[in-house]
Amino acid sequence: MHELSYAQALLEEILRLAEENNAKRVVKIHLRIGELLLINPEQLKFCFSAISRGTVAEGAEIEIEFIKPEIVCTKCGRRFDEVIGICDCGGIVSINGGKDFLLKKVEMEVE
Amino acid sequence: MHRIEIEAEHDVLSLNKRLAKENREFLSKHGVIAINVMGAIGSGKTLLIEKTVEALKGEVKIGAILGDVIAKEDYERVVKHGIKAEPLNTGKECHLDAHLVHHVIEKFGDVDVLFIENVGNLICPVDFDLGEKYRVVMVSVTEGDDVVSKHPEIFRLADVIIINKVALAEAVEADVDKMVEDARKLNPKAKIIKMDLKKEIGFEEWLEWLKCALRSRGE
Ligand SMILES: Nc1nc2c(ncn2[C@@H]2O[C@H](COP(=O)(O)OP(=O)(O)OP(=O)(O)O)[C@@H](O)[C@H]2O)c(=O)[nH]1
Ligand SMILES: [Mg+2]
Ligand SMILES: [Zn+2]
Ligand SMILES: [Zn+2]
Ligand SMILES: [Zn+2]
Repeated sequence: MHELSYAQALLEEILRLAEENNAKRVVKIHLRIGELLLINPEQLKFCFSAISRGTVAEGAEIEIEFIKPEIVCTKCGRRFDEVIGICDCGGIVSINGGKDFLLKKVEMEVE
Repeated sequence: MHRIEIEAEHDVLSLNKRLAKENREFLSKHGVIAINVMGAIGSGKTLLIEKTVEALKGEVKIGAILGDVIAKEDYERVVKHGIKAEPLNTGKECHLDAHLVHHVIEKFGDVDVLFIENVGNLICPVDFDLGEKYRVVMVSVTEGDDVVSKHPEIFRLADVIIINKVALAEAVEADVDKMVEDARKLNPKAKIIKMDLKKEIGFEEWLEWLKCALRSRGE
C-alpha cells in the first residue's frame, strides 16, 4: 500500500506547518492530485487518519481536487479524456501533467 | 481560538524527486546505465537479469539491486553469477523508492549496467522514480492477455515492454498479438519484445537493445 508513504510525507509537512504557526488543531487539508498518479484517495485518507492519531492533525478533513492531464494528438490536435498513445489519424499523442501531488492549503485553529 | 489558512504550495513528492535526481547524477557521472526492471510477480525479471549477465560475461560489467518485500532469494540467485549485487527489502512497502536505492548506489560506480529489479507489482512502483535511465516492463502470457490494457500507466511510461513466456501462450489461451497491439497503442515509442526465456525466443533482440543503449551512453 504505497498510500502509506504518501500519507507520511504529507503528515510531515503538515506538522511542520502547524508548529511554525503555533496551531492547536489542523482542521482541513486541501490537496491537488493529478488524475494519472496511481493513488487511491480512500486509502490515502485512511492511512492519514491512522498515522495522525495523537497529533494536532488528528481528525483533519482532507479535500482533494483532481487535475486532468493534457492529452493531445501532436498531428491533428484532437484532445482525449483517456490515456492513449496513437490517434486515429496515426499521429503520436502527447500526454502532459496529471502526475502532481500538491499540498495546496491548510486550515488550522490557533489561539 | 480562531482559524487561519496557510497557502502551502508544497510538493508532497519532493523528497523522492530530490533523491532520484541525486541517484541519476551519480550514475551519469560514472557512466552507469541504470535500468528499472518492473513487472508482474513471477513474470521472469530475475531470470532475465541472470541470463543477461551470462550472455555478456567478460564484455559488459553488470551490477544488480534486487528489491523484494522480505526475502533475499533473488539476490542469492543473482550473486551466484559472480556479479556485484545488493538486496533491498522494502518491508511493508510494495515498491522501491529513490531513498532505498540511494543507500546502496555508491557501490555501483564502476559498473556499465545496473539492473534494479523492482517489487513484482504493476501499480505501486510506477510513480516512484529511482533515478534510472530506462524502464523495462515485463509481463508474461500467464497473467492473461488483458494484463496490458488493464495497467495502462506502467506501459505508457516504459522504454522496453517484454511479453515473456510466449511459448506457453497456446496452453493458457492467451493472444500474444493482442498484448503487443495493446502495448503499441499505449506506447508507440517503446521497444516491444515477444520473449520466452526458456526457449531463447526474443533474447537476442533484447541483447541488441541493451548493446545499443550502451553505445549511446553519454549522448
Ligand atoms: N516457461 C517459462 N518459464 C519462465 C520463463 N521465464 C521465467 N520463467 C519461470 O518463471 C518463474 C519466475 O521467474 P523469475 O525470474 O523468478 O520471475 P520474477 O519476475 O523475478 O519473479 P518475482 O521476483 O517473484 O516477482 C521461474 O520459475 C522461472 O524459471 C519463460 O520464458 N518460460
Ligand atoms: Mg525476481
Ligand atoms: Zn501500493
Ligand atoms: Zn490525430
Ligand atoms: Zn536514509
